[in-house]
Amino acid sequence: MNTPETVAITGLRSFVGQRLAERLAERGGRMRVVGVDLRRPYRLEGRVRFHRVDLTEPSAAIRLAEIFEAERVDTVVHAAFRRDPTPDLEYDHELQTIGTRHVAHACAAAKVKHLVMASSTMLYGARSDNPNFLTETHPLRGHPEAHCVMDRVAAEELLAQWQLVHSGTAVTVLRTCWIMGPTYWDFAVRHFAKPIVTAVLGYDPLFQFVHEEDCLRIFESAVLAPRPGVFNIVGRGVLPLSTYLRSAGKQSLPVPAPVLFRVRSYPHQAQTGDRPEGFYDYLRYLWVADGERGWNAFGEPHYTSREAWAAFISSRKLRRYR
Amino acid sequence: MSDLNTTDYGARGALSAEAREEGLVEVERALSQLRREIETRFTKVPMQRSLRSVDWMAFFDDLRRRFSTFGMSERSGEIDEFGMDEVVLLRSRALLDFLLQRYWRVEISGLGALPAPGPCLFVANRSGLLPYDGLAIAHVLAAQQPEAGQPRFLVADWLITLPFVQSYLARLGGVRACRENAERLLSQGQRVIAFPEGQQGAAKVFRKRYRLQRFGRGGVVRLAIERGVPLVPVAVVGAEEIHPILFKVGAPARALGLPFLPVTPTFPALGLFGFLPLPSKWGIHFGAPLPIESLGPDDARDELLVARLTEELRQSIQSLLDEHLKDRKSIWS
Repeated sequence: MNTPETVAITGLRSFVGQRLAERLAERGGRMRVVGVDLRRPYRLEGRVRFHRVDLTEPSAAIRLAEIFEAERVDTVVHAAFRRDPTPDLEYDHELQTIGTRHVAHACAAAKVKHLVMASSTMLYGARSDNPNFLTETHPLRGHPEAHCVMDRVAAEELLAQWQLVHSGTAVTVLRTCWIMGPTYWDFAVRHFAKPIVTAVLGYDPLFQFVHEEDCLRIFESAVLAPRPGVFNIVGRGVLPLSTYLRSAGKQSLPVPAPVLFRVRSYPHQAQTGDRPEGFYDYLRYLWVADGERGWNAFGEPHYTSREAWAAFISSRKLRRYR
Repeated sequence: MSDLNTTDYGARGALSAEAREEGLVEVERALSQLRREIETRFTKVPMQRSLRSVDWMAFFDDLRRRFSTFGMSERSGEIDEFGMDEVVLLRSRALLDFLLQRYWRVEISGLGALPAPGPCLFVANRSGLLPYDGLAIAHVLAAQQPEAGQPRFLVADWLITLPFVQSYLARLGGVRACRENAERLLSQGQRVIAFPEGQQGAAKVFRKRYRLQRFGRGGVVRLAIERGVPLVPVAVVGAEEIHPILFKVGAPARALGLPFLPVTPTFPALGLFGFLPLPSKWGIHFGAPLPIESLGPDDARDELLVARLTEELRQSIQSLLDEHLKDRKSIWS
């Protein structure tokens, strides 16, 4: 497959969507970028052709297929996923699972050559019986209490099923671990950004992070030079959670798990509609992914886990003085 | 002799009473001068024990740091990818040396037959609730072949998910027992200590001691054949007696999320002190490696061959155990 000429990005307002669109538009040349989202993105006027499509609508697949055909799209980046879980479980399910279905069917109808999907290593699930390194072949078990994760597991399974029938479209799934960096922001980052970080008493799991620059660079190269398959996108190196917190000078507040899991009103947890296990088990058990395959395909990441964390912490500290 | 004595006493007795008095006063004066000098040179500044002089900020800072690193105050910034911390390992070495040499007086045999440094799979009988046996074998092997690095021991699921225990075991070189982990460690050229009896071995009641349980599903042998690494049987004698389980209680354990709650002579009776291991006499005996060099990776699919080799391995550990148990006169010596 050659370098694509027209790239469509669903979820243009998402972090990956917006920043990837900027990167691709900056490249110039013959490449055109088509954006799909509910609202118009910032700072992309004139560089991206924008179409307003609601992925939760039943007719979204038809509408997307029309756009893809009219714009002669050959590569689709599917990044329309919730950054933060919301209490609206039905909406999250419609957008993430059914939305992926719409995008996949539109790709098949419009004979799109390549589909890149943004996924997460959270989908493997934080389980006590995980091996120390999760490879791409490990089953996606998710976490039963995290609806946002389970919706995305369903979306990936759906895509795998779809791929069996529609072999004309190559699919690249990029599973990123928690992203850290100067500008990235989501529920996990918000948890770590606090001066006092709640942790589970007696547990100190190993953690890995990926820097946002590395993440975007890998998405860009996955679009430019298609390599079908599933890849874990993680930074090199693992460290215990306590070491990260200590290096940032943060105070950890270890709470026994049974107590922690009963506190439903914990500020950001209450907004997700999930039980707290859905988040805190990820601070309790191992869910480190093996990034060897991704590093071989897309090159060595520039930032290790520790450097990604340091970039995030130093930018937070600078922000205080701005 | 007697002559000399008499003259001596005679000379002393010859001193007049005044002269002796004077001499005593002289000595007294010299002593008091010396005392004064010592006092002026070495007086401590008197401690000011007032609330105002205590550095409360430092005190709270220390408290805060201790609390946030509860259970893990000694760590380095770097760990290896399975969570082993060299600093924790180094600090625990003295304690392990004491435990093995003085407390359990470990007797080691069969080191001559050890394979050359390189990836290797050691298979041992599992005994005792906490994985002291894994730590001990790893410690002995690390001392024997320091160039091959710290061996890693595999730990059953239920132990590796216990709060506190889990993070310490990982820092000391424990890895969750599963196929993926063992494969990765062996492919990195590390030595791995496996306990294929698993939880059944650790949870043996006292009357079943030193009777090997089923060896899982033959995964250890299959892995060794696939990776072409030596398979060394190891027998640990004495570790069964550190926590002799009289019987097991099910219902209250399930409430705590544990597979079972052991009742040992000391455990519920002495509270958490009951977890201290008893000072039995230990022996760690390495057997000859199993002859599997001629087998290729394809042979790992031969289930009957794997079953036969697993049984052979089990027998060799059992006979090592029996042999050394026969020689043992008492649990304690």
